[in-house]
Amino acid sequence: MSTSNANFKNKCVTQVNCIFCESLLCTRGMKAVLLADTEIELFSTDIPPNRTVDFVASCYSTESCKCKLRDIACLKCGNVVGYHVVAPCKPCLLSCNNGHFWMFNSEAVSTLNRLDVTGLNLLLWGDLPELDDSENEESESPLEEECIRPTEYHGVHVTCF
Amino acid sequence: MCYQYEYGEYGVTVLFLGQTEANTLYCLFKGRYRFFPAGLPLLVILCNKMAVVPDSGVLTFSIFKWSSYSSTYLPENILVDKPNDQSSRWSSESNYPPQFLILKLERPAIVQSITFGKYEKTHVCNLKKFKVFGGMSEENMTELLSSGLKNDYNKETFTLKHKIDEQMFPCRFVKIVPLMSWGPSFNFSIWYIELHGIEDPDVVQPCLNWYSKYREQEAIRLCLKHFRQHNYTEAFESLQKKTRIALEHPMLTHLHDQLVLQGDFDVCEELIDKAVRDGLFNQYISQQEYKPRWSQIIPKCNKGTSAQEVNRDDINSDGDDNRPGMRGGHQMVIDVQTETVYLFGGWDGTQDLADFWAYSVQENQWSCISRDTEKESGPSARSCHKMCIDSQRRQIYTLGRYLDSSVRNSKSLKSDFYRYDIDANTWTLLSEDTSADGGPKLVFDHQMCMDSEKHMIYTFGGRILTCNGSVEDSRTSEPQFSGLYAYHCHAGTWSLLREDSCNAGPEDVQSRIGHCMLFHTRNRCLYVFGGQRSKTYLNDFFSYDVDGDHVEIISDGTKKDSGMVPMTGFTQRATIDPELNEIHVLSGLSKDKDKREENVRNSFWIYDIARNNWSCVYKNDQTVKENPGKALQEEEPCPRFAHQLVYDEMHKVHYLFGGNPGKSCSPKMRLDDFWSLKLCRPSKEYLLRHCKYLIRKYRFEEKAQSEPLSALKYLQNDLSLTVDHADPEETKEFQLLPSALFKSSSDFIPLGFSDVDQTYAQRTQLFDTLVNFFPDSMTPPKGNLVDLITL
Repeated sequence: MSTSNANFKNKCVTQVNCIFCESLLCTRGMKAVLLADTEIELFSTDIPPNRTVDFVASCYSTESCKCKLRDIACLKCGNVVGYHVVAPCKPCLLSCNNGHFWMFNSEAVSTLNRLDVTGLNLLLWGDLPELDDSENEESESPLEEECIRPTEYHGVHVTCF
Repeated sequence: MCYQYEYGEYGVTVLFLGQTEANTLYCLFKGRYRFFPAGLPLLVILCNKMAVVPDSGVLTFSIFKWSSYSSTYLPENILVDKPNDQSSRWSSESNYPPQFLILKLERPAIVQSITFGKYEKTHVCNLKKFKVFGGMSEENMTELLSSGLKNDYNKETFTLKHKIDEQMFPCRFVKIVPLMSWGPSFNFSIWYIELHGIEDPDVVQPCLNWYSKYREQEAIRLCLKHFRQHNYTEAFESLQKKTRIALEHPMLTHLHDQLVLQGDFDVCEELIDKAVRDGLFNQYISQQEYKPRWSQIIPKCNKGTSAQEVNRDDINSDGDDNRPGMRGGHQMVIDVQTETVYLFGGWDGTQDLADFWAYSVQENQWSCISRDTEKESGPSARSCHKMCIDSQRRQIYTLGRYLDSSVRNSKSLKSDFYRYDIDANTWTLLSEDTSADGGPKLVFDHQMCMDSEKHMIYTFGGRILTCNGSVEDSRTSEPQFSGLYAYHCHAGTWSLLREDSCNAGPEDVQSRIGHCMLFHTRNRCLYVFGGQRSKTYLNDFFSYDVDGDHVEIISDGTKKDSGMVPMTGFTQRATIDPELNEIHVLSGLSKDKDKREENVRNSFWIYDIARNNWSCVYKNDQTVKENPGKALQEEEPCPRFAHQLVYDEMHKVHYLFGGNPGKSCSPKMRLDDFWSLKLCRPSKEYLLRHCKYLIRKYRFEEKAQSEPLSALKYLQNDLSLTVDHADPEETKEFQLLPSALFKSSSDFIPLGFSDVDQTYAQRTQLFDTLVNFFPDSMTPPKGNLVDLITL
């Protein structure tokens, strides 16, 4: 569901770090553009990064679309690093998107393209196992990949490209 | 005898208490009891130079210790104020306690305030809750402040505790302890700290001297207490003679002598009796919590004989004649001089009412003044109006009312204003339309207060009633709220004091409905809090000085002190007691259907105006059991809204009538129950009986060791007299006492008294218990020397 689209399989898996305090935010990032404004670049991920970020403030919507959003901040330094789509709007739902709900603002993060097992090639999203499968795909990853589908979406394709 | 001297720059307060046997004067000086040799000119001994309070300046400090820090967020960053740099702050490594920063001042100083700088944007690591401690040494610090920051970008300054009994004390170390950040899972951050106070050695040095003397003195008092507890008589007398420091007030020394040394319990009872009568237990009583005591009022039934009843040919049959029917949105006022509650109008579920009643507390009877005030040149039937009473001139005023949207176009929207003269029993139309007279437009859910002294009426808020637009569209226009107006009763003119303003200026007020407004007759201020503006619930609290025309914001309602202040959105009814300087708030059901839960109960809060703090008297969150006759149902009125609560500040009683219980199954149902509420603290009589019980209980236990039969008789007679046998707890305790007759003496040894005669030790314990009822200024220190020893 999240990465079944062929386009996304060839994208690089990036490691996302907080630019303010250098702490690790996420090991499964994907560079993407905002559907509502393709000038804006950001990094998205499918799994809620639950030990590295947490919500701040309350839900809000932007002028560009009616998706319900909520900001997330780095747990180490408290600075806002991105947002989470709590509930998507219909137009975004129906358009082509990568199905990720967690976004990092590119100015708030520093990223690194990850390498595969051999250490010679770039790790691609197509190489990553599906979410429903095993969780122990990257043993050296400090971030525990948990196979928890965010329940509020009930398996809906969402948001941003 | 109390003397206060001021001689130039010298000042002192001296309280003479009497002469002891050794011909020395015993005085209260600067909070401590001291012996002074008689004959010496008192002015010479007791004068001290009053310090001219110098200006407070910025204090220099360095970072002394820290609990942790994360990444580049070093503690030293708090010395620099760079609000636009997110890294210019200290951030803890985690939010697990203990987290702290200890600052060391360059020199000892009186630390009067602390300022917290912030980041340019709201930030989740800002401290929602923190404490500040201070002291001359790191180990020995006292709490100076417990508060929290707003999550915004403004600097905040707090006053720190820097005095003990009006005497300033210095600090060398200041410890900041973060307790909670605005994001519970985030770390704590402090951006910038500034300390203000007095560094001038001329001021600080005397304070240091006083501080060190104070500590020595308290140490000596602890020693004296210890010596006496262990019966080291010579050591005790020797230390006391040498230092001239008194352990306690002579009355308590006498009590100790009679109780512990002589074992003369009768004299002890007399001493306690005298103490209670002299009002010495009043401070203890004032610190106790209030207990609410509701009781439903069942008025006397007196068919058709009420003095002022006008309509004799009433269709209403028995029962309804002599008490007001069910209603909500009515108005009540109380005339404390005659103890009469007046009730007018309301909505009974189907229609507006125009009946006017008076309840006499003395007679416990309602009388109907008028079945329909409109027929007597009075106001038409109405609800959601407001009434106020001028007890001095015995007049009642009423203004405003609610009109359903269906009748707003047909009925006149003129704001009529009436006055009722109690003695003449006549209504006067003061104005057909106050709006035309420069006063408010027709409003409902506003507030009105009477200032009898200056013969003025103040009204604030309420929603302005307007005609429905002629265009057929579903969207309603923006609701408008009425401002703050004053009515000059004598001249019959209105003036607008404050318009409704959404600005945040210091003198701006935001209007609202369903708020509480009270007039404090002593300090002549209006207190306004709570309310609603369309869908927003307001929880700000401000006061308005009517003579100075000045608004003072007590709380802007942004700090979320959940659990510490009455919750917004639940109908609040408030009353004020100018003598006790308290505001009482009864919080019940929310008008908002969404907020209404089945298990909401009443909660009662008291706001202490002088101390600026709220305390909850009770908060009942139990689910409502629909059993008729269930104890809880009878003990207090069910939660409701649209009711009325009035307060008799002379007799300290609240009265509540009717309202809307908000039953979704019967939306037209209204209540007609009538309750009185007394807030009770333990009375003097109760405390006296309790102390006598304690003394006699001990006496019984002592007797039980040597003369069991005699003790049993004592238990059955004298001790039994001091027990309230109607109280289940007291009775239960009393019934367990005979077991002392069968216990061996070894069971009674109290901890820490191993080298003392058992009787002496137990009597000392009783003494310590009795001493707690006396004011702190009279008692020995609360702590014990042995407790300072740690393993």
